[in-house]
Amino acid sequence: MKDINFNDLFRYNYRPLCLYALHYIQDVDLAEDIVQESYTALWEKLQDGAQVLNRKSYLYMMVRNRCLDHIRKKTIPTESLKPYDTYGIIEDDDAQERSQTEARIWTAIENLPEKCREVFIMSKRDGLKYEEIAEELGLSVNTVRNQISKALKVLKEGIHKVYMFFFA
Amino acid sequence: MSDFEDKHLDFVLKHYQEGRFDTQKAIKSFNEANGIVLKPRRRVLPWVSGIAAAVAVLCIFLFRDNVRQIQLMADTEVQEFVLPDGTEVTLAPGSKLTYSEKSPRMTQLEGMAYFEVARDEAVPFEITSDGVFVKVLGTKFAVDASSSVKEVYVTEGKVLFAKSPDAEGVILTKDMQAAISPEENTPVIAAEPDVNSIAWKRGSFIFDNTPLIEVLETLSEHYKVSFEASDLDKRLSGVFYTEDLDLIICLIESALDIHIVKR
Repeated sequence: MKDINFNDLFRYNYRPLCLYALHYIQDVDLAEDIVQESYTALWEKLQDGAQVLNRKSYLYMMVRNRCLDHIRKKTIPTESLKPYDTYGIIEDDDAQERSQTEARIWTAIENLPEKCREVFIMSKRDGLKYEEIAEELGLSVNTVRNQISKALKVLKEGIHKVYMFFFA
Repeated sequence: MSDFEDKHLDFVLKHYQEGRFDTQKAIKSFNEANGIVLKPRRRVLPWVSGIAAAVAVLCIFLFRDNVRQIQLMADTEVQEFVLPDGTEVTLAPGSKLTYSEKSPRMTQLEGMAYFEVARDEAVPFEITSDGVFVKVLGTKFAVDASSSVKEVYVTEGKVLFAKSPDAEGVILTKDMQAAISPEENTPVIAAEPDVNSIAWKRGSFIFDNTPLIEVLETLSEHYKVSFEASDLDKRLSGVFYTEDLDLIICLIESALDIHIVKR
């Protein structure tokens, strides 16, 4: 069992894998279940002594297959299979990179100050107008506007362009 | 060009729900479902303790092609050094740092170290290790090359982390962490950096509403002991100094009203 550290496999990949699954199934609960199942399947495989060269890619593959299975089950056979996202168009590596970026955005949103996050989510996710948010939270429209631009600034600064050469 | 593309943000926002995709919760249910018990983890540094008057050789000189090589090492305790360029290095026990007298900003690391690199725009500071290449101008960060998964944690400034000098790398800034395993070519940035990966240097553990199971895992890894607790569902916040494990245990027990046994 040398060199199997599931804690690290989770810590670096759990959230990205959940976001990867979301691109296929758009259901947070189901995404978590599928990712958890995939980790368990990998664990059992390794317990049986199987060799898995790239555990991360293997996890992504398992998550994708499970998502597609799920979509197939729910789709009426005559209807053509259309995953929500760009399956087949986006390369595996790009999909992994995208999931990692999105996982960092998720974390960055989570780390916003509470009030700021609340206002931001009401505006950007729930589509409420500034006036509506201001009324619901008892704030001025100006405060709402400021909180949203603050959130956007923090998020954009927090998520850096990462794949590049240094001093280039 | 920015990789912060609005489509990524829009996608995340569309699905964002408070408290979901909680990695620690997922680890906990994974461990429970698969009957995994908490035990000390991977790092196999020769963390020897209780040796009275251990003779620590801290610096030796070697010669390669007639150029003097300087090797700094930490034996059983954390050791701090200042390099000729003013860079401060803290070595974890069992770690070594080597450089040649000719180019003191090109170093080789074995084990785990924390760097506060003196700024020199003209000469980047480089660290190489097996499967690790790190390049900076002037900044503060930790490198952990003590196990097969190599990690870098940045506390200040900007760091390039790659597998080798000619491989594609990632840029890390304040409070970012990345790791590379032997099977990968590019380091992966952690979505959730672990502030306690540099507890050995900072001299303290920081917990912020951290699940107890994770707290014990952190302590277990640091002190190489296992724990059993009467209730793992509680959460802990606070700063604890690394010097005295028994005191930490005592404080946690009384703060959370639980019982913890060392194994």
